[in-house]
Amino acid sequence: MSDLLRIELSSGAASRRGRPRDLQSGPPAVPLYRAREVRGSARFLIYVAASLLLVLVTCVSAPAQEGAINAPDATLSPAQAARAESLGKRVKCMCGGCDDAAGMCTHSGGNFAGPCDVAKAELKEIDDRVAKGQSDDQILQAFVQEYGPTVLIEPPKKGFDLLAWVMPIALPIIAVLLVWGVVTRWRERSSTLAPAGGPPVDANLLARAQHESGQADE
Amino acid sequence: MDIFGSFALLLALVAAVYAFVAGIAGIITHRALLIKSARNAGMAVCVLVAVAVATLEFFLQTDNFSLAYVAEHSNTALPWYYKFAALWSGQEGSLLWWTFLLSIYVFFALFLNRKRHPELMPYVGVILSGVQIFFLTLNNFVASPFSVLGAADGSGVMHLARIAEGSGLNPLLQYPEMVIHPPMLYSGYTGFTIPFAFALAALLGRYPGEKWIHITRRWTMVAWTFQTIGILLGAHWAYAVLGWGGYWSWDPVENASLLPWITATAFLHSVMMQEKRGMMKIWNVWLVFVTFMLCILGTMLTRSGVVSSVHAFAESSIGGWFVGFLAIILAVCLVAWYRNRDYLRSDNQLDSLVSRESSFLFNNLILLAACFAVLWGTLFPVFSEWFTGSKISVGPPFFNKVNVPIALFLIFLTGVGPLLAWRKTSLDGLRRNFAWPLAVGVASGIAAYIFGFRNFYALICLILSVFVTLTIFSEFYRGARVIAARDHTDLFTAARELTMRNTRRYGGYIVHFGMIVIFIGIAGSAFNKDVERQMHVGDTLQIGPYSLLVQNFDETTNANYDAQRATIEVFRDGKSQMMLFPERRTYSASGVTETIVAVESSPLRDLYVVYSGISPDTNQPVLHAYLNPLVKWIWFGGVIVVLGTGLAMLPNRRNAIVLRPVESRISDPLTGGGTVVPAVGPISRSTSTHE
Repeated sequence: MSDLLRIELSSGAASRRGRPRDLQSGPPAVPLYRAREVRGSARFLIYVAASLLLVLVTCVSAPAQEGAINAPDATLSPAQAARAESLGKRVKCMCGGCDDAAGMCTHSGGNFAGPCDVAKAELKEIDDRVAKGQSDDQILQAFVQEYGPTVLIEPPKKGFDLLAWVMPIALPIIAVLLVWGVVTRWRERSSTLAPAGGPPVDANLLARAQHESGQADE
Repeated sequence: MDIFGSFALLLALVAAVYAFVAGIAGIITHRALLIKSARNAGMAVCVLVAVAVATLEFFLQTDNFSLAYVAEHSNTALPWYYKFAALWSGQEGSLLWWTFLLSIYVFFALFLNRKRHPELMPYVGVILSGVQIFFLTLNNFVASPFSVLGAADGSGVMHLARIAEGSGLNPLLQYPEMVIHPPMLYSGYTGFTIPFAFALAALLGRYPGEKWIHITRRWTMVAWTFQTIGILLGAHWAYAVLGWGGYWSWDPVENASLLPWITATAFLHSVMMQEKRGMMKIWNVWLVFVTFMLCILGTMLTRSGVVSSVHAFAESSIGGWFVGFLAIILAVCLVAWYRNRDYLRSDNQLDSLVSRESSFLFNNLILLAACFAVLWGTLFPVFSEWFTGSKISVGPPFFNKVNVPIALFLIFLTGVGPLLAWRKTSLDGLRRNFAWPLAVGVASGIAAYIFGFRNFYALICLILSVFVTLTIFSEFYRGARVIAARDHTDLFTAARELTMRNTRRYGGYIVHFGMIVIFIGIAGSAFNKDVERQMHVGDTLQIGPYSLLVQNFDETTNANYDAQRATIEVFRDGKSQMMLFPERRTYSASGVTETIVAVESSPLRDLYVVYSGISPDTNQPVLHAYLNPLVKWIWFGGVIVVLGTGLAMLPNRRNAIVLRPVESRISDPLTGGGTVVPAVGPISRSTSTHE
């Protein structure tokens, strides 16, 4: 018995770590705890319980909406409805339980695999603001005011976050210029070195030689 | 019994440390016996880790819930194959699985080369055991899968405990693909360790010649194939199980698997530059290094959850270990490269910007741009949180915007590259090879536009796909025609002969074709549709050409789960086509609800129906139907890619020596594009096969 514990203790250097972050964040049904992991487990349980409660509360307490799922506001013109729909895909669902845009929110693992009430409330707000005649930018800004920049599904194109957009374009361009420079240098060097290579070789002969020596291209 | 597994793991660590130390000592002292014993220790690691894996698997199969890992990831009612898969469904188990697959690779790398490369192998053995030491340290001391459960008695003294029932395997993982996908992906991740070890060993030992690059290439192809299969199976799992209608959401874990795949792809292309022309040696060595580092980074992203929040870093101590290991690898690579950089000097220079060489340069550049864009987007939330303190999101639209143009340019190069000759291509030759495939491509683009396909990127993708497909087929055709004329056979036989003579080149073309098929499938997503609606029995929902008639909602139950099920009859043009049964399952052990999607797949489109459950607002059942065009092409393209890679790994068929005069029609390398008249000379032989 004590041997078993000792093995566990010797390999239990991870006592301070949280629980493994895997796909399963299902109910932690194990009523026991690992030796020397008591505090970590308890903290984890509280954390899971609190976040489940939070999701539950947000997903249940928001006012229920009548009618069809995701139905566009009847007062919007088709152009406005299309705008509202595209805006719905540019803001994140802030329920914390999914990582989707509000307009694409489906909780496949929840009690109901449709948009949660947080997402529906966000879409409703977009509809209202579109109906009021606000511009896309105004609406997105209002969401940022309310939830912080996390609500935007793409990084904002200003300040530090502009780097997110600039780098994937700038770096390849710099790389192309670099390669260009290297290639030009190579060519200059090879053109000065070329005459030293011996008499000119007939192209046909060269191809045949390469071919027979197994160096033909593949 | 768990002591058995623990001790096996501990002994494996000891063996790995011995292999490392004895290997270094052997390299310094040149003592053959020491080198041999280090190698044997390296192979013994595999046996010991296998014992540990078998022990854990035995506990899983026998429902031994005194083990924390078994209690957390399995339950009695779980079918045996999912109990088997439970091995890699949690942190500790999947790290053990990593170590196990790595040790299998190490075993084969050491065993197959035991009589070869005597100067190279000791270095390889040391590097491999170094990597194994890291993972075995995690297995033994940081994330041991053999932790037992304990319970305190009244006086606070801990005792071992065993609970009656485990909390079950995550229902998301209870799907056939989840039994195959992780082993495949991990075989990819771990497999890239071998090319890394060979490249670093060649550099450290200044191994003469180019032999190491052939070995490296062969092992990279093995790992690359597994990685490809793993990524595609993962995408298919996401599509079939997660129930949101898509297969790729640019999630950090998905991106992590894509990154080393991209750099390995770049390496498999640029390696040809080194083999044929002795160029880009530094570049190749670094591609191999970076691929391995991205594998470690990917494992870290998957295991530590660092991207979801910076704070997750502190939460899971495992992230720090990986960062430390990455820093060590980077330092070792930098030092090895700096001290031996003269060893990597190029033999040749680039002759022309319009040549096969430069097309490889651009190919590599584009692939690395894609890799960087994905890596940058994945890690940017972490940077942003560090620098500005506020958390931002980098969602799928970002990745699509950045990567779609890159991918399209890559398709273009796929068509252009193989048509350019080595060294230099004349503009005339270029025009001759390109004109008609490009013309047909543009024509098909115009036709698609007329038929109402108005998505810009999808149209470009179509044009380029047609263009590339035609160039690939014309390559086969031109080669086969020459053989057919010479041997008086039909074109099909000739094409097979051609392919077997140069498996690498023509296998590569088949891989390209498979990728094109995949890209066409991805382009189909531009035309996705979906409808979500409350449905009563007898209601009909129209999507595309299909009408879905709800016949029934019912419930079924078994030991593992309870299910709510919808029965839907699908009509097309007024005729009944099929029945679909989308389900929602609530698993007894975990209480988690899962969507079981009903998919009717055809080459043209998938009808994908999700039963969303009872709407909490109205108490009415809700159906969500998706129409996803061309998704099947992605899976089919994947099969072609894997077959093509398998073909490229076969040795070339060697020709018998035939005494026959050399035909004069050898293609002109300046204009003939990639066409090489297949071996027709007296002592002609195909490129030698390596190891």
